[in-house]
Amino acid sequence: MPFKVIDKKDMASFVTSLMEEREVVGPVAKDGKFVFSPINDYSQLRLDYNITLLPPKKYFLPQEEPILKYKLGEAMRSEPVIEAEPRVIIGVHPCDINAIWLLDLAFSTDNLDTNYMEKRKKAVIIGLDCNEPCDEHSFCKSMGSLTVEGGYDLFLTDIGDAYVVDYGSPTGMELLARHKVAREATEADMARFRAVQDAKWPKFTYKLEMNVSELPNLLAISYDNPLWEELGEKCLACGSCTLVCPTCYCFDVVDRLALNLKEGERLRRWDSCQLPEFATVAGGENFRKARAERQRHRFFRKGKYLTEMFGKMGCVGCGRCVRSCLVHIDPVEVYNTLRRTCTPGGWAQREVAAYQQKS
Amino acid sequence: MAPTLPDLLRRPHMKREMEKRRMTKPRIAIFDFGCCEGCQLQIVNLEEELLDLVGLVDVVSWREAMTGHSDEYDIAFVEGSITREAEMERLKGIRQNAKVLVALGACAHIGGINCLKNFFEMDEVLKYVYGKEAKHFDTIPARPLSAVVPVDYAVPGCPIDRKEFLEVVKALLLGKKPPIPNYPVCVECKMKGNICVFEKGMTCLGPVTRAGCGAICPTYGNKCEGCRGLVDDPNLDSYKEVLQEHGLTVEQMLNSFRMFDGYMEVAK
Repeated sequence: MPFKVIDKKDMASFVTSLMEEREVVGPVAKDGKFVFSPINDYSQLRLDYNITLLPPKKYFLPQEEPILKYKLGEAMRSEPVIEAEPRVIIGVHPCDINAIWLLDLAFSTDNLDTNYMEKRKKAVIIGLDCNEPCDEHSFCKSMGSLTVEGGYDLFLTDIGDAYVVDYGSPTGMELLARHKVAREATEADMARFRAVQDAKWPKFTYKLEMNVSELPNLLAISYDNPLWEELGEKCLACGSCTLVCPTCYCFDVVDRLALNLKEGERLRRWDSCQLPEFATVAGGENFRKARAERQRHRFFRKGKYLTEMFGKMGCVGCGRCVRSCLVHIDPVEVYNTLRRTCTPGGWAQREVAAYQQKS
Repeated sequence: MAPTLPDLLRRPHMKREMEKRRMTKPRIAIFDFGCCEGCQLQIVNLEEELLDLVGLVDVVSWREAMTGHSDEYDIAFVEGSITREAEMERLKGIRQNAKVLVALGACAHIGGINCLKNFFEMDEVLKYVYGKEAKHFDTIPARPLSAVVPVDYAVPGCPIDRKEFLEVVKALLLGKKPPIPNYPVCVECKMKGNICVFEKGMTCLGPVTRAGCGAICPTYGNKCEGCRGLVDDPNLDSYKEVLQEHGLTVEQMLNSFRMFDGYMEVAK
C-alpha cells in the first residue's frame, strides 16, 4: 500500500471534518504542559507537543467508571453499564500506541473486558511519530517502543509542511478515503520522509546498559537485591508513578449505594500497587506491607511479569513516572543498577564477604 | 426437637420484634466544641439530600439546625477541638451516650487550626483574644477529640466534604467501615491530570496528606495545606528531603505542618 500525504494546510479541514463526525481528542496545552483533551477547534490541537501528563489510557480505562447498576430488595436486579462513545484520538506517540497495544492484550486475554473493549472498538487512533525525544527523561528507544508495528488506524510523520500517512487498519484507510484530504506521496515526499527517519534515530539514545530482552532474566536474579530496600526508604508511596503510567491497568471496584439504600452503582476506578492497602485482603492480611516490596513489585511487573504474560514489554519508556516522582526514582537507573550489581563484584559478592566476616 | 432459628423468627412475637427493629431509625446527634461550625454548615448545605438523609435517621439533637435535644442517641457527630477544661467533661458525657462517636472535620479529627495557639503561652493567648476581660476565661492547649476520648471514625477536612459525610453516614447505617482513604492526595491529583504543585515552584503537603477531598486545592491552583491529616504511615524522612530540595528551611517545614497538623508530633 503506497503512502499518502496530507499537506499541513489541509490538516485543519481534515480535523474539522473529523469533529463533525465524532468527538476528537488530542494534545492541548495546559499551563505549559500538555494533556489529552477533547478539542472543539483545530487551533487547540498541539501536534508539536512532547508528552502529556496522563496517557490516552483514560479514554479506555477512565479514572472512574460505572460498570453495574443495581436495585436491592426482595427481587434484586442488576444490569451492566457500558459507556462507550465513538472518538478519534489524534497525535498519539509511539510509546503510547505500544502501551495501548499492551492494554488491548491485558483486557482481552482470558476474560474479555467489555467495558474496555467497547471503548477501544469505538476509538480511532491516529498516531504521530516523534522526530525528537520529549526531554532527558524519555527512554523509549531502550525499551523498543520508539517504533510501532501496529496498534494504530493511521500514523502521521511530520516531514515539514506535510504529514506522511501510513494505514494501520481498514478503518483508517476508509477514514482517509472518506475525508478526501490525502494525496498520493510523490518521490520528493518520500525522499524527505526517509531523511526525517534517518535524522531522528541518532537523536534518541540507548540508556539501558543492556539489551531490553535481558530484563526478565535480570529481574529474576534480582529479587533479593538490596536496591529494593533503598527505593523503599525513598518512596513516598504516593502512587504517582503508576497513576501516570500508560501500561498500568490495576483498578479497584467499589459499590456506591444511593441515599435511599435501595439502589446503587458499582464503580471501578484506578488503583495503584504503590498504595499501602493495595494488597490487603479480607481478614486484614497485607501481602506487600513494605514500600520496598511494593516498588519491587512495580519493577517486576514492568520488566518481567507482563512481558512473560503478553510477550510485550510492560514499560514503554515514556518517562512519565520519573517526571512525576518527587524522589526521582528512575527506571533506567533502577535497571542499570540491578545490572551492575548482579554481575561479579556486585551485591552477591558483598553478601558473601559479609557472611565470611561474620563467621 | 428444638426449634430452628427460622422457626423462632416465624413466631408472632418475634415477627413483631423484628418489624419494630426494622422500623427504628438510628438516632443521630450533632455537637460542636471549639470551631467555626463550618462543617455543620456543610451538612445544612446538603439541602435536598439532607431531606433524604432525615428519612433514614432520626436527628435528635443539633443546635445549629434545630430546636429540642435528647441524650438518647446512637451516633454522635462532633465538630471542633477541645480548648477548655469544662469541654472535656462534656465530651466524655457524649462519649458515654453514643454507641458510635465520629469526629467531624479537622478540628475534631486532628486538632486543626485551633492548635496554632499551642505554640504560645496560654496566658498570652487569652490576653490577645480577650484583653482585660481575660480573667473571666480559661483556656488549655487545643486538642483533637481523640486526645480525650476514644473516637470511632472521622470525617476529615476543613471543611468536611459533603459527599464524603454522606458516604460515612451510609456506611454506618449499613454497619460497614466508613470508606476514608488511606492514601495521599497525590493519587486524586494525578487522576485529575493536574500539574504537580512542586513543578509550579511551590511546595505541597499532598504527598503525606490523606486523600478524599478530590485534590480540590491543587486542582484550583493552590497547594495542599494538609487539612485532612497525615496518612497512616507517611514517609516523613523522605518527604522532608523533598521539601529541603525545594528550598524549605526546617522552620518553614514545621510551619507548613502546623497550619492543620500542629497537634501531631511531626510539627512539634
